[in-house]
Amino acid sequence: MGCRKLVASQMLEGVRVLEVGGGISAPFCGKLLADYGAEVIKIETPSTGDVTRSTGPFVKDDPNLETSIPFLYLNTNKSSLTLDIFSSMGKSILSNLLRSSDIVVHNLAPADLDSAGLAPESLQVVNPGLISTSITPFGLSGSYKDYEASDIIVYALSGLMYHSGDSDREPLRNVLNQSFYVGGINASVATMAALFQKLTDGQGQTVEVCLTECLASHLVQAVPYYEYMGAIKGRRPIRGSGFDELMPARDGYVVPSIQGSQPWSVIAGLIGSHELQDEKFATGAGRIEYGEQIKQLVIQGLSKWDRKPLFEASGEKRLVFGMAQDAGDLYQCPQLQSRGFFEEVNHPVAGTARYPGMGPRLSDYRFLGYTPAPLLGQHNNMFLKDELGYTAEEILDLYVSKII
Amino acid sequence: MNRLPLEGVRVVDISRVFAMPYCGAYLADLGAEVIKIDTHYSAFVDTTRTLNGPYPNNEPTEDYWETAGTFQTLNRGKRSLTLDLRSEKGLETLKELVAISDIFLENFTPRVMRRFGLDYPNLKQVKPDLIMVSNTGYGHSGPWSNFGAMATALEPTHGTGAFMGYLEPDDTGNLSEGFIPNKIANSYTDFLASWTGQLAVLTSLYNRHNTGQGMWIDLAMYQVGASFMGEGILDYAFNGRRTRRLGNRHEYYSPHGCYQCIGQDNWVVLAVRDDYEWTTLCKLIGEKELIDNEQYHDPMVRYKFQDRIDEIINAWTYSRSSNQIMILLQENGIPCGQVLNAKEMLADNNFIDRGYFESIEHPISSGIGKRRYTSRGWSLSRNQISIKTPAPSLGEANEYVLGELLALPHEHVVALEEQGAIGETLEGAKIPEVISLERQSELGWIVDYDESR
Repeated sequence: MGCRKLVASQMLEGVRVLEVGGGISAPFCGKLLADYGAEVIKIETPSTGDVTRSTGPFVKDDPNLETSIPFLYLNTNKSSLTLDIFSSMGKSILSNLLRSSDIVVHNLAPADLDSAGLAPESLQVVNPGLISTSITPFGLSGSYKDYEASDIIVYALSGLMYHSGDSDREPLRNVLNQSFYVGGINASVATMAALFQKLTDGQGQTVEVCLTECLASHLVQAVPYYEYMGAIKGRRPIRGSGFDELMPARDGYVVPSIQGSQPWSVIAGLIGSHELQDEKFATGAGRIEYGEQIKQLVIQGLSKWDRKPLFEASGEKRLVFGMAQDAGDLYQCPQLQSRGFFEEVNHPVAGTARYPGMGPRLSDYRFLGYTPAPLLGQHNNMFLKDELGYTAEEILDLYVSKII
Repeated sequence: MNRLPLEGVRVVDISRVFAMPYCGAYLADLGAEVIKIDTHYSAFVDTTRTLNGPYPNNEPTEDYWETAGTFQTLNRGKRSLTLDLRSEKGLETLKELVAISDIFLENFTPRVMRRFGLDYPNLKQVKPDLIMVSNTGYGHSGPWSNFGAMATALEPTHGTGAFMGYLEPDDTGNLSEGFIPNKIANSYTDFLASWTGQLAVLTSLYNRHNTGQGMWIDLAMYQVGASFMGEGILDYAFNGRRTRRLGNRHEYYSPHGCYQCIGQDNWVVLAVRDDYEWTTLCKLIGEKELIDNEQYHDPMVRYKFQDRIDEIINAWTYSRSSNQIMILLQENGIPCGQVLNAKEMLADNNFIDRGYFESIEHPISSGIGKRRYTSRGWSLSRNQISIKTPAPSLGEANEYVLGELLALPHEHVVALEEQGAIGETLEGAKIPEVISLERQSELGWIVDYDESR
């Protein structure tokens, strides 16, 4: 395979995306489109910028608008223009940019769309070919559209949270603001469907993304469980036989699994407890009946294993064990490194680091590398002077009146 | 209404289980013709037809493989062609179909695909501008490329457990960052892979339109999972931090958590982001200890004393319903939400207002009736994107694909059937023994069930 490196520079070449809002969902959508080669322009609030700039953790735990780690991660390959889109001058600049764009992706509250000049009807007038993607927690319509939200609220109201954590404790929050990431990638999927459709007749449209619905779409078991049988699935009981659960090994946690179409003897042999070989444990029914006993034997066997050797041995034996890896394990992972997952990025303030890259590997694409997240307003001149033809004096005025 | 975005696009979907079948289902929702490559041999059939259920009323019938609810969700809107890929003839037919299709979805191991001769270099010969997704656990290259995978084991492997876990008491008895990883569960990684695969496919279609080039998408679930842990991994790269397990708490917001309500396993979450929300919450709860403590206006102080604050909030939520609390707090501008289970989701106002769950009226002969399904998290204003048809019965499109699309002579199709290369009834089928809901409830597999349904 001619698969050299990730970033498929040409795939969305010539596609211009405006990103309005901030936080995670719209920026992650923008990042994904940028990964595939689109030009992405962040419109940021003057002086404070995207709210994520003020969100930690920060490089060396030293807070600064240019060193927020989530911001650095979410905004590679983009440019930054500061603009007060709620001012009339700001609106007119935004309109100019909207006319030359294919996509605008934003995560403003439904109530703010009009005042930001981003209501679907007005965008159609500005640019009929524009695809306008709105990302909101609960949608642009419906009982909760004006509800306040944060990641945990979305997670709860999506239905997914009820099913996370231990059955004898409270439901447990997802990690790293995942609801916004899942929303961001769903937004990029729907936006691409609209962009593909635009190829046929040049027409744009409104894409509406609802975060709770993106996450609810994960529940392909719990929903039919109720809809087909009236049964309510809950969080996983942890008093099973110790399989398909996180279990302690010598240096951390592993996930022993019975999946993988191998006989019980292979599984029991790998874990290494002699008593576990007993045929009465070999069937599903047996593992239910002797659950607690098996679990104790598994714990005994695992206490002699470190995570990685066990994981690799299971892979060699065509079993499908897992292991709990932390951020350091992932950063140093030979599998991810050999697949070229990481990319060195040099940022003028934050410094140099290897960044995690794209999920998929794509064949036959020339690698262009990542440019670092933009400094706040780094590209103001480029857009205002070079593209829109504002004079130096006019630009100064815009700064003074805090429009940029 | 317009033509749907993917009308005229043909997808061959040989994938199994969750991630790629769901990707195919979404492509069908978008208007593509998706042909599921099924088999009528039970040992090789997609296990969601036979192992996962759930079957209507927990009573699998003689044609149980057509009636599983999870299978129906993941394969709606598709057609089904049965092919025996162990036979030359079956493989040849598949390649002929790929030659007249646009997209090919598969999730076998690299070893199996090479053995079938269905790897990308081979299929590219047959269809030069093919867009192919190879979905595996760890990818087609690298030291782990031959390892199999399941989402339950993959999820912690790609790092979710580093950031997810309950708080644990420290030396002073206060709850603090935990050591024990936990899981999101519900095959979380499968869905990340499904969304990532959909994006790669649509981008590749756009690219193919402009350049005429096909694409091979090497979609490793492990790598996809890691790409969603980006800010955590980068925190290690810059600061050497390996884990952050804050339970249901938050770095900046306090209080922030999940609180027990009246009723069985009933919970509400809330987040206090600023002093206005804090003051408002104090008034609503009406507890002097919170209202009178001036220090609590500082979020850092609240964070420090959140064990005590949580105790007070819990005492307040404990005798109220989660829905009542959500409405009260939201009316007062405080972020708050019910922790919905599946029954509550299906009855939830916002999902209902927005028509999120889509109903399918199944054919009478199927015995399934009318059921609601998860749809998708987005809509397109120019299109009525929806679930078009139920999941296909085994081999329902054999005639259509072989006779019409591939224009095989009728006797040829008959010969395939006689050789056992195609079929419409599952060979070696055995009605699964289901576990009664009562027993599942005892085992803790389900929380509760409605007997009256």
